[in-house]
Amino acid sequence: MKHHFLSKKHKSSSKSDWVALVGNPNSGKTAIFNLLTGLNQKVSNYPGITVEKKVGTTYTEQNSYNILDLPGTYSLSPESFDEQIVSDQVLSWASGEDPPSAIVSVVDASNLARNLFLTSQLLDLDIPVVVALNMIDRLEDVNQLDIKALQAELGAEAVIPISAKLNRGLDNLKGAIESAISSQDKANHPSTWIDQSMKDRLAPLQNKQFLSPKFSTAQALRMLSRSISSNGNASQIKSIRKSISELGFNANTLEATLRYEWIDKIVRSIQAKIDQPIQKVSRSEKWDNILTHRWIGPAIFIGILYFIFQSIFTWATIPMDWIQLGMVQFSTFVLTQMPSGMLRDILVEGIIGGVGAIVIFLPQILILSFFLTLMEDTGYMARVAFMLDRGMTKMGLHGKSILPLMSGYACAIPGIMSARTIDSWKERLVTILILPLMSCSARLPVYTLLISAFIPPLTVGGYFQLQGLTLVIMYFLGTATALILAKVFSRFIKEKSSSSFVMELPPYRMPIARSVIRHIFIRGKLFLVNAGKVIMAISIVLWFLASFPKVDQTISGVNPIHHSYAGRIGHAMEPVIRPLGFDWKIGIGLLTSFAAREVMVSTMATIYNVENTGDEAVNLRNAMRNDINEETGAPTYTPLVALALMVFYVFAAQCMATFAIVRQETNSWKWPLFMVMYMTALAYVGAMVVYQGGLLLGFS
Amino acid sequence: MTLIDLYPGERGTINGIKGESHLQNRLVEMGLLTGIEVRMVKQAPFKGPVEIKYRDSYLSIRWEDARHIELKQ
Repeated sequence: MKHHFLSKKHKSSSKSDWVALVGNPNSGKTAIFNLLTGLNQKVSNYPGITVEKKVGTTYTEQNSYNILDLPGTYSLSPESFDEQIVSDQVLSWASGEDPPSAIVSVVDASNLARNLFLTSQLLDLDIPVVVALNMIDRLEDVNQLDIKALQAELGAEAVIPISAKLNRGLDNLKGAIESAISSQDKANHPSTWIDQSMKDRLAPLQNKQFLSPKFSTAQALRMLSRSISSNGNASQIKSIRKSISELGFNANTLEATLRYEWIDKIVRSIQAKIDQPIQKVSRSEKWDNILTHRWIGPAIFIGILYFIFQSIFTWATIPMDWIQLGMVQFSTFVLTQMPSGMLRDILVEGIIGGVGAIVIFLPQILILSFFLTLMEDTGYMARVAFMLDRGMTKMGLHGKSILPLMSGYACAIPGIMSARTIDSWKERLVTILILPLMSCSARLPVYTLLISAFIPPLTVGGYFQLQGLTLVIMYFLGTATALILAKVFSRFIKEKSSSSFVMELPPYRMPIARSVIRHIFIRGKLFLVNAGKVIMAISIVLWFLASFPKVDQTISGVNPIHHSYAGRIGHAMEPVIRPLGFDWKIGIGLLTSFAAREVMVSTMATIYNVENTGDEAVNLRNAMRNDINEETGAPTYTPLVALALMVFYVFAAQCMATFAIVRQETNSWKWPLFMVMYMTALAYVGAMVVYQGGLLLGFS
Repeated sequence: MTLIDLYPGERGTINGIKGESHLQNRLVEMGLLTGIEVRMVKQAPFKGPVEIKYRDSYLSIRWEDARHIELKQ
């Protein structure tokens, strides 16, 4: 892997100096990145939790530096794909490929020894290391650490106490980065964690490609402990492992053992008092007496899920009504102000009708991402993984699958990418394959439209609104099917890999408001940009297909849209989709929504706007409700058709972007193709069962 | 005696880690060295993961993996 993206993309910046941000998961690394770079971030298209490479710029008084935010990792011996990204990156720096001018090693001050493990690995590189001692506010007494001594013992350029939560110490950190880069005499890291006799033993395994002899030794040790041989030195590794075990060491864990001996000695010498004896029950542990209680815990989780889905339907309706009203007024305004003609028609029927139908769903998407971000940032998601790991492994998944799967409710793409934290390839693959069955927010517009048009707003059982309940059932259907298929797939997929689940349960934290808002903002922006690009383009093309060729209505006696290109395509599809209860309009929607599911709604809006001969914008919900089949005189769409269509959307693989990301993450065409095939088959059969079954039971 | 023999609230001292080499390495990298004291916090039902406290951390480990963490008598 070669990453010259920094030198290529940021030629404009005056200096080529750049900084890498590395740290453990839960060390607050991303919060520091946000504080350092503000809004000057290049977040790639689909941000996961931190599984993306993010580059930002920080400004000091004289200079500006690019900062790269790497995924959280515990060590340079990777266990998951996520950690592999970091260790590959560090290996390339060690070989002299575009190394950073300085590394900021983010360390959780309340968990010092364990966080310094990664720092000590980074120090081997002979690149200046600035230690950002984060969460300093969590220490009972700041003076309990001798920071000067820590800096000297580690051999770091600087150790800067900061608190990302309280926004303290950031200026000091920036200053330290600047002087680490500009200063001529670098601090000397003694690398005393390994003694000379051990170095000599490892000498035959050292790789000359690395610039730093210390890193070369450490890397040789990592190869040794994992028994990874290169250029046929397998027998050499075997004999060195043997000589090490004769010394009384375990070769598998030698690096970690030696480093911790060194770190523990330093920590003991600089700590005025031991922070917490292990019998001390932390506040988080007390919370967990309830939140991860064996019976109460899962019940609370289900309650939270239900609350989220109800709120998507109840709270969101208020801003949705405003947007709806604004859109109708806007198109009426355009209709009255612009001279009639093709341009006005494209604008009102194509663009405003199509894009407007999608923008309405922004509030729901924002609310859903808000709750997901909250669960992740508070530390609750790790507890959910703990509670569900047993059940998940029974289904062929992994405790850590829960975050990707829940993210899938917002969007499959960040979900699939965050599956990188799962440390077993088979479980990761199964998670990726079933994840698109989690109803993403692009399906929400489809569900919402159909539910509000065809499901009566009744209250059942005193508490449950029928509309909200229908929505929950759709989500449940997707989720339950996903879990069952996970079991099936894991039985048939023959990929070999070992699985483990070693997961930290971080203390519960108050989420940082800035971070939550930023995350939601990015989600919303992505959604709108998609709406802007894909949906606008499709809406315009569709408008042409639905409007041409022009037929004189007075002659044919039927609405000209039937004879348009779109109408003809839709009618040609009808025999295939008739058994599902779908007509030609839905057929067109199914075709266009192969680009993205929400396009279904904009397609229907465009079709009705073109079909409508009057001079006002169409309310899509009413238009579908009042649509009369010209042959039978009966309503075209019934609650049964709406249900069948919703079930179709629960299962169907209609998303180009998901296909592309599965191709990327599995590095093959086999898995994305398999995914599309099984999902399409499921969608067709599922919708047919609902529609035909409903007819048999006497519904219409 | 291994980690899973501890009841919630009980403490023990690590004597060594057995099992598959990747797992051994990761557990030691997380700071679970010989001589480190651990406290069993809880066990998820049906042989689900266990939660332990050691150093300043809470960690969850699968029941099958926790069996490989040996404790001093």
